Amino acid sequence: MSPMTPTSPTSPTTGMSVDEFRAAARTWMEANLPRRAEGDTEVRKPWDIKDVPAAEFAAQRALQKRMYEAGLVGITWPVEYGGQGLSAEHQRAFDEVAIEFRQPDLGTLGGTTFHVCAPTMLAHGSPEFLAVHVPRILAGDELIAQFFSDPDAGSDLAGVRTQAVRDGDRWILNGSKIWSSGAYNADVGMCLARTNWDVPKHRGLTWFAVPVRSRGVTMERIRQINGNEEFCQEFFDDVELTDADVIGTVHDGWTVTQTMLLFERGGGGMRSAAPTVGMKADVVALMDEVGGWEFAATRDAAARVHVDDLVRAALGTRILAAMRTDPMRAASYASYGKLASGVFDPLRANHMMRIAGTAAIAWGAPDTAGSDASGPDSAGAAASLALLNSRFMAIAGGTVQMQRNTIGEKVLGLPREPSFDSGKPFRDVVRDAANWSGKVS
Amino acid sequence: MIAPVGLVATLTDEQEMLVDASVRFMDTELPVAAIRAVVDGGPRDDIAYRAAAGELGWFGFLGDEASGGGSVSGNGVVDAAVIAAELGARLQPGPYAGHSVVVDTLTRVGGPAHAAVLADLVSGAAWATWAFGDDTACVLGVSRDGVRLDGHVTLVAEVGSCSHLLLGASGPDGFTQVLVPLDATGVTVRPLESFDVSRRWGAVDLTGVTLPLDAVLGAPGAATAAQLLRQVHLAAVLTAADAVGAMHADFEIALQYAKDRIAFGRPIGSFQALKHVIADVSLSVEMAKGIVAEAARALGDEAPDAPELVHAAKSFVGEHSVEVMHQCFQVFGGIGFTWEHDQHLYLRRMSADAAMFGAPGWHREQLVATVEVAR
Repeated sequence: MSPMTPTSPTSPTTGMSVDEFRAAARTWMEANLPRRAEGDTEVRKPWDIKDVPAAEFAAQRALQKRMYEAGLVGITWPVEYGGQGLSAEHQRAFDEVAIEFRQPDLGTLGGTTFHVCAPTMLAHGSPEFLAVHVPRILAGDELIAQFFSDPDAGSDLAGVRTQAVRDGDRWILNGSKIWSSGAYNADVGMCLARTNWDVPKHRGLTWFAVPVRSRGVTMERIRQINGNEEFCQEFFDDVELTDADVIGTVHDGWTVTQTMLLFERGGGGMRSAAPTVGMKADVVALMDEVGGWEFAATRDAAARVHVDDLVRAALGTRILAAMRTDPMRAASYASYGKLASGVFDPLRANHMMRIAGTAAIAWGAPDTAGSDASGPDSAGAAASLALLNSRFMAIAGGTVQMQRNTIGEKVLGLPREPSFDSGKPFRDVVRDAANWSGKVS
Repeated sequence: MIAPVGLVATLTDEQEMLVDASVRFMDTELPVAAIRAVVDGGPRDDIAYRAAAGELGWFGFLGDEASGGGSVSGNGVVDAAVIAAELGARLQPGPYAGHSVVVDTLTRVGGPAHAAVLADLVSGAAWATWAFGDDTACVLGVSRDGVRLDGHVTLVAEVGSCSHLLLGASGPDGFTQVLVPLDATGVTVRPLESFDVSRRWGAVDLTGVTLPLDAVLGAPGAATAAQLLRQVHLAAVLTAADAVGAMHADFEIALQYAKDRIAFGRPIGSFQALKHVIADVSLSVEMAKGIVAEAARALGDEAPDAPELVHAAKSFVGEHSVEVMHQCFQVFGGIGFTWEHDQHLYLRRMSADAAMFGAPGWHREQLVATVEVAR
């Protein structure tokens, strides 16, 4: 355990006006962060993140800490938990400046920690919990992995069987979590566990902050089809937790989950689309590489990719506006963004493969490239890799089928399908599923 | 009744009043039931309809104050697109995209000779429309005494109800635009049978038509060709907006049907097999609204990304409107084959919109060409 970072009730940016804050952010970034290259506006996709060397990762953590000490992180978060307590205006001013610089890069964990887990904790955690964890999070001392899916429960997240059993004033955690991206670098896992088997599945769940280096936690990395090993699986054997590790109310974990899913779908931090003019660099590079500008069929495929890219950016703008006008349905609207990614990422990959042709099938090896025009860094190779990654958004964080249910039921008001598992004790759900007869009981 | 389309996620107060009044007007004066009566051969009172629509401001968003027009939001293309979408959703007649192009063109390059026509177009006293290039096979002869036209225009929406046709074609001095009064000697408008029955379609034959020189708008050649680009973009975005309105309406009707129709003991919309189709349709509708709104905003602002966004909007909407129609048809089942069900009227409208002012493939090619030039 790293020592607790003291909260600083007066940070260097306390009480600053928006203009002062913007100037302070610029001064600090100019002194401490590398400037982004012209046109470098792409945010890395989760599947593009590869193993970061430990030394480099430590350097990025140190950078995060210096930014924290400069009063430039947790801008709108409460002062008592180490945030700056400033306005959304200040956040916007910061964002405008930040886009020009390469920000501290904590890989997948940066996203899960600062955009999903910590905002959810702030919404539901007890003051005592937040006072311990949030300052450490902001300082880069506590990075959080998502211990959400069980091997047996993914889209059916409320069906997890990883369990925590009360034992005096302790909780004993057993089970397994999977698909926890980047968890090998994490300090804590935000873990959903069943704490009551005798009530319907949504009502017997509790969230815990599990220190990943606790006794009884074993972690394995999973080799993925794209060669990366970002996904992890954890095994819990009698891991001891306390009430201080509980996030939100015991047995009321589903309420917390709703908030968490909103942030995960981008509802909490969705930004306006970047300027859209011009075809994306990967398409241009591929068209150049294969001489695609000369042929009607490849021109049309490239145009289809560009059309869909532009339309998806416009959809993002529309969803943002709709969410502002109707915050009550923000989470449901966010499903449109997720569904669009799930549907259009694979289509895009297919178009790119059609443009690439055989350039996506083989390329020169790094050491024997010889007269081969292209190597592993070629646009053709990138197209093949994109195909492998293309169903990420169609599956991760709830499949497109889940998004379609959410949109159909929550946005469009269509009736639900009959449910076989939501009304009876989860213990019976598990038993009955093993003897599934197809009969509605 | 179809709910307002909501093409733009956040309307100004003035736009909201405009949409409210416009929707009420359409639903009262020319609801779909009345349009069906016209389709079945009944009379259509263009004069009263046009004048009332002119009062609402529909025809002036791209005009200036001198002609009696003006934008309500500061972006006349967005205003026009918002109205175009409501027109499509309610299968309204009229050459709205072409008319708006003529108003825009006369406002930008018209002279004193065109002021009276422009004022009539803005007030709704008359309709005009526009045709160019591939849709025309015209020979223009321009001399000191006037301009002579021969040839024909193959396909124009509502040309039979228009007083003027703005025609772009190759002439001796390069690309030339001529404002042709449709009552001029030598002009014949031939009604066509059409797939889209909510609007009347026609062809125009021009035989030895002679007009005074002031019928020519702007300077022939490069300037007029540049003007043509804006006209194409404007017609494309307003036609896409019309189709988005039709998508919206078709989807609304299908969604309601999925809630009302009972099969196997429950509403058919509760079955995931249909619920998922409907969710995908609603995603297409949201995306279509999003890109058309962005394209209209950019075109109105004359932003550098406007051409790309317009080509993207017209091609996306052209393809996805037809796909949405197929999926809605499947939700309706057998009832979709009946004449008295409205969905075929939308199917026809969307198909015409997809083909007019550049089919999806044409706009994709323009998009690639635009990107290539910018490189």
